[in-house]
Amino acid sequence: MKIHRPLHDNGSVLLWTVLVITILSLFATEVLRAVSSRYQVALQTSTWQEALLGAESGIDLAVVELRKSLYPAPNGAWSGWTNTPGDGVISHGLTTVPNAGLADTPMTVEVDVDAPAQLIDASNGWQYYRIRTLGTMPLTGPPRIGFNKQDNRLRKLTLQAQRFIDNLFTSETNTPHAARRLEAIVAPLSSFNQAIFSVGALDLNNQNIVVDSYDSRYATKSTNGQYDVTKRQENGNIATDGNLIDAGNAYVYGDVSTNSGTAINTNHVTGVIRTDFYQDPIPIADPNWTSINPTPSIVTGTATLNASSTKGSAQSRYRLSAISIAGSQTLTLAGNADGSSSYIEVFVSGDISVTGTAQVILGQGVNATIYFQGNVDIAGKGVLNPANQPANLLLYGVQPVDSVTPHVNLGGNGQITAALYAPNHDVTVNGGGSSGHVFGSIVGKTVTMTGVTNLHYDEALGSDGLINNYQIVSWVEDTR
Amino acid sequence: MLIAMSIFSAISLALMMGFVSLERNFAATTDFATNHTDSVRISDYLALDLRRALSVQTAPNSTTITIPSYYDANGNPQTPQLDGEGGVYYGASGSSVQINYYLANGTIYRQQDALTPVAIAENVSDFNFTVTDLGKVATTRITFKPIFRSSGASQSAIDATAVYDTVLLRNTRTDTGTGVY
Repeated sequence: MKIHRPLHDNGSVLLWTVLVITILSLFATEVLRAVSSRYQVALQTSTWQEALLGAESGIDLAVVELRKSLYPAPNGAWSGWTNTPGDGVISHGLTTVPNAGLADTPMTVEVDVDAPAQLIDASNGWQYYRIRTLGTMPLTGPPRIGFNKQDNRLRKLTLQAQRFIDNLFTSETNTPHAARRLEAIVAPLSSFNQAIFSVGALDLNNQNIVVDSYDSRYATKSTNGQYDVTKRQENGNIATDGNLIDAGNAYVYGDVSTNSGTAINTNHVTGVIRTDFYQDPIPIADPNWTSINPTPSIVTGTATLNASSTKGSAQSRYRLSAISIAGSQTLTLAGNADGSSSYIEVFVSGDISVTGTAQVILGQGVNATIYFQGNVDIAGKGVLNPANQPANLLLYGVQPVDSVTPHVNLGGNGQITAALYAPNHDVTVNGGGSSGHVFGSIVGKTVTMTGVTNLHYDEALGSDGLINNYQIVSWVEDTR
Repeated sequence: MLIAMSIFSAISLALMMGFVSLERNFAATTDFATNHTDSVRISDYLALDLRRALSVQTAPNSTTITIPSYYDANGNPQTPQLDGEGGVYYGASGSSVQINYYLANGTIYRQQDALTPVAIAENVSDFNFTVTDLGKVATTRITFKPIFRSSGASQSAIDATAVYDTVLLRNTRTDTGTGVY
């Protein structure tokens, strides 16, 4: 049997259905509008953040190249870059990084490194570098500004035309993208920026040694340029690239740092115990001077090598196959008669041996730099550094030609005042004279202290010697 | 007829209540999304300035950040200079720019030196932002009151809205006096 529904009933149902569908559609439209606009903002925000990662990667890339340039040639530094940065010369690098996220849009990193004359440290001639980077990420989706003007003011996205042209970078285009610009200044760091640094094990041998610092440049941190316990500073940092430091209950007036490792017997450490340390042990190459003083070529008895008032003079550069003095023999590195500043550089391809009551004597005013490739055994009366300034005697261990690790044994009856950088040598410091005091900085493949009671790090060494690292000292984002 | 009217009324009432609930829920969700976007923006603003900070002074809903004086009077970048002690500065020696973030009358402002404050989030009287200075890093925490309940949000609901950010301060801190980190 058929039921006939009145026509006006059908009309009411239809009307209600249409009304409900209309309301639901309006609601869905509003939801979609709200969701899509917020999705757009979220996407633009994440793109903007990614651009910052790109720009910061640019700084990392530049610092890596700068660090490479410290290695003995050929080091591959600046390979693929437009130029090598020098005074006033600009280097330019461009890298496109495939990006798995954000719809496979590639990130572009553009880097500019230069060396402004204003960034030369007058005290030592070291060049600081300026690194400027641009990180760019394409914006996916429609090129619409966000619904909130405050978001737009913060992120300054490029949607139609390049927002900002600074005549420095070329990789920005008119296509929709987010761009971040950074400027960092990196400073050179000395090989001697720690009191003690070892690539591997560092053992202070439970002698209750005191490691502290002073600064021979400032009267508030030293007396007449000499260590003064009443002006003790707390930058006697010790560090290792390895994972173990036995501080031996030393009184360390500074930080103790390992590379994800453990520091034990650290009851008397005044600074921070860190586990995030790593420093490239940049090897030292044979200086290979083009011009030298040819005599002598070896020292096997009492001898004198003359320094020169001119730094880097061929007359004061010596290449020796060995130094071996014994008994009461002496090796004198003689300076000017009036004690004014003079300079001498010596490369020893073989071993250095000072035994008996023999002694190496620095003349007044002499600044000596000694490179050695073999073993070093200094006993006897040790090394006389009359001004007691560690910066006057810089000892560099040259990368050995074979895989055998040479050693350095610094000792003798005399006080040890020197800065030693030998990242390929096992270093043992023993003695330090009757007082057991060592002034300077020690870097070795491994470092062991025996019989030393005090190591006083001269902070002035931090701006002397060879550069072996770069560190960011200023960081600014260009928000124009 | 009476039965039909009753059923129709019940369905209409249910639909109306459903729409009202949906609408309220939609409003609360929109409010939450808007507030979350505001939180992220405030966090991004703070992070932008904290990254380049030379020093930071914090108080609840008020933070002052000192940054390098990178731009000259015309808004162009200045050439960096060395201070003779391993530090770098822009512009005149010792110059810097102070940026103050504060909440006033339901608006969070960012004011650079004595310039006109710029609103970075409006209608945010229920917001709280805190910056914690941990030396090498600073953390930010931003919360707001969600409006899903007519009786007001509980503390746990407010805590659940927190947007956190941890920022590594890239510059050598000048206010710690301990040198390079």
